[in-house]
Amino acid sequence: MKRVFLMALFALPSFAQVLTDTPHGVVVAHDARIEWAGRSVPGVEHATFITADADRAVVLDALNNEAVIADLARGTAQRLRTAETPIAAIFANRELYILARDARVLQHVGGEDTPLDADPSHLAQAGGRVFVYSRTAGVLREIGGEKVEVPPFASDFEIAGEQFFLTYPREGKVVIGRIGPIGQIGRPIGPMSPIRPIRPTTLNIGSVPTDLAFAGGGTALTARILAVADPSAKRVWLAESTQSTTEAVARGFLRGLLGLGLFGGRASQFPTGVDRVETRGKVWIAYDSSTRTLYHFTRKQSTVLARGVAPGAFALTEDGVAWWDGTSVAQKRLR
Amino acid sequence: MSSRASSTLCSALCALILLVLPLTAQQRLASDFEIAQMEKQLAGSRDFQAQLSGRLNLGDVRAARNEPSLARAEYAKALELAERERVDARRASSLTRYANATSYAALAQAKLGRDAAAFALLEEAARYVSDDAETWNLYASAMRLLGHPRKAVSAARNAVAVAKKPLDLAVQQHALATALVDAGDDREAERLLVTVTEALRSPAFAELREEAAEREAFEVYTTARGDVAAYVSLLNRAQLRLAALYEKRGAAAEARVQYTRVLEGRTDDVTALAGLARLAPNEAEAARLYRDAFQANPFSPALIREYRKNPVAPATDMQRALVHLERGELRAARAIFDALLAKFPANETLLSLRRESESGNAALPSPTPSANELRALVNAFERLTPEQRTALDRATFASVVTFDGEPGNTFASGTIDGVAFRFSEPTIFNGTFATTARLTYRILGIGEGDALLLEPLGLEALP
Repeated sequence: MKRVFLMALFALPSFAQVLTDTPHGVVVAHDARIEWAGRSVPGVEHATFITADADRAVVLDALNNEAVIADLARGTAQRLRTAETPIAAIFANRELYILARDARVLQHVGGEDTPLDADPSHLAQAGGRVFVYSRTAGVLREIGGEKVEVPPFASDFEIAGEQFFLTYPREGKVVIGRIGPIGQIGRPIGPMSPIRPIRPTTLNIGSVPTDLAFAGGGTALTARILAVADPSAKRVWLAESTQSTTEAVARGFLRGLLGLGLFGGRASQFPTGVDRVETRGKVWIAYDSSTRTLYHFTRKQSTVLARGVAPGAFALTEDGVAWWDGTSVAQKRLR
Repeated sequence: MSSRASSTLCSALCALILLVLPLTAQQRLASDFEIAQMEKQLAGSRDFQAQLSGRLNLGDVRAARNEPSLARAEYAKALELAERERVDARRASSLTRYANATSYAALAQAKLGRDAAAFALLEEAARYVSDDAETWNLYASAMRLLGHPRKAVSAARNAVAVAKKPLDLAVQQHALATALVDAGDDREAERLLVTVTEALRSPAFAELREEAAEREAFEVYTTARGDVAAYVSLLNRAQLRLAALYEKRGAAAEARVQYTRVLEGRTDDVTALAGLARLAPNEAEAARLYRDAFQANPFSPALIREYRKNPVAPATDMQRALVHLERGELRAARAIFDALLAKFPANETLLSLRRESESGNAALPSPTPSANELRALVNAFERLTPEQRTALDRATFASVVTFDGEPGNTFASGTIDGVAFRFSEPTIFNGTFATTARLTYRILGIGEGDALLLEPLGLEALP
């Protein structure tokens, strides 16, 4: 125990590094610079978030209300002043949206801002449709569309296909809803609203489900497989997302919750509790924020990739994983 | 909550809630004895909450005494405790405990001025317990400390939205009002503070009020542990903030009511005393209130700044020193600061004032010296080089002087343009002179009461 404690105290992390993978290579923001493929442009003081599309990366500074958009092909950068506390951004149909949580607004760069409900904490998109989950208000809103009430206080919000997923650490559950078929933007608010809960709406998974990713499935014949990080159980649970009655009938059967830790048995899957999980194809990684440890895991085992990694300073790449090791980008091929 | 989740999370929910209250500008000075008592209590406590609140309070007390190095040491210890608790809680799979420790680690980081680290930790805590008012309260406190009032307002609004118990709600409304003041929205802040103070003084809180009276609880904490301590601290802070807002918009009568109510709870509250002194109807009343305020905390930077702008009749050593400082009587000010520093050697306010009372390099006065030249010589007499001393011993000066006493031929002391001087013994001059005459003299040194010690060489009547 002492060793763990000392590590936590003295391996003092630098928090302001974020990293993402792009067709132009891994882009890292650190020490007020943005770097990729041997190129470097001025960044933000405290890099708290990064995302990218094919040609651009945007780095946010939630503390100083600033964003820098790097043109990855040209090697240029554009600096923007944002509304209060930009915590997330997303590219949808080549348009950039920045979620300014404490201003309660979604900023559409070059377009109109959208006012939001209390504590807008998560941003996601599906097929060009942009969705914002407001955590304390318990509202899911489609930008340019309608909004529905959903349970508040979720720790993660994800969209896959026509479904959205919300994780609730305190309740030990994942709530699943339906955003409706792509292409229904502009339909009137009402009983046929494109965003609506489906039945059953709740999956009980683990003790403290904190983060969620998708580990396969989601085809015409199989339900989507959810990978759910549970730091309390020190496991990533795999569960089959519940199907709508229509889907179940179409497939001819109804699968239940798998609800098993990957390794089975009583042994912890990870030496410490992981609270973040990310997947890309068959490469799965998990992260423990308390010890800042990055793991690679499969159905059979977990291995430590790196320690002392800042939250957000790692990303899955086309064939493996990359992380910032304090001085440079480290990469490991996993596929 | 599922049974699985509740078994994991309930232990931390059952713990006493720490309520973090924003610090006001001036606090009563904790004595060395009180600090020693707090440290003794800390040494005897084992649980995380007691240790943490103790360290944070000690840090705030040190900060209020303007002892930043010692304050930082306490905050660093609080951070160490919180980080250890985070790891322990995570290993024990107690995620609410982990989130709570993470919030306090963030607060400690904020008190140490590390904004990026604090922000990351606050975000981490909010992931787990975004339904917890205390988490948002800590978020708001940390953002205020780091100078991000709009973020603090947003976090405080979340805290208000999720607060459940009446006392919690009042705490969160007060935190929101505080953040709004920082963000420049005084009107909403005032409305909220009226709500909070009226609620706290209402029958709904009678039970807590009685308990506080029975326990004779009057200590005001920045990190209050338990409902009674939180109630006492919150009422104090809310009334002070409301009074300050009233004062700011010129509503003196309303401000006086709030300051007076604060003193009903605690008679030595520096902020309330200073506020009432500012609003006093006459100088005698102001002097009495400033005396009480300086007796409560002579080292409050805000109080010192304020008194230097309006130095009414001094009654305490610190006030006397400040008056000397304002008059340019640095030597006299230094003597008092040195005496105080002997008692409070680490006090940064004193050290800073002592530095301010240092004079620059000494220079010899001109043959017909001005008051400023003579005052500079008094202030820097010990800094004269041996060569300057020799030159001073040989030099003669001439000034128009005003003797103490009656016209005649025997004089012992007087002033040169306001600068006091005296002879080593009463001197009889040939002739009869008015009390104002031209004196030729040598300067021997500095005598009692920082008066120049002069050797008279000649005296002539003015035309």
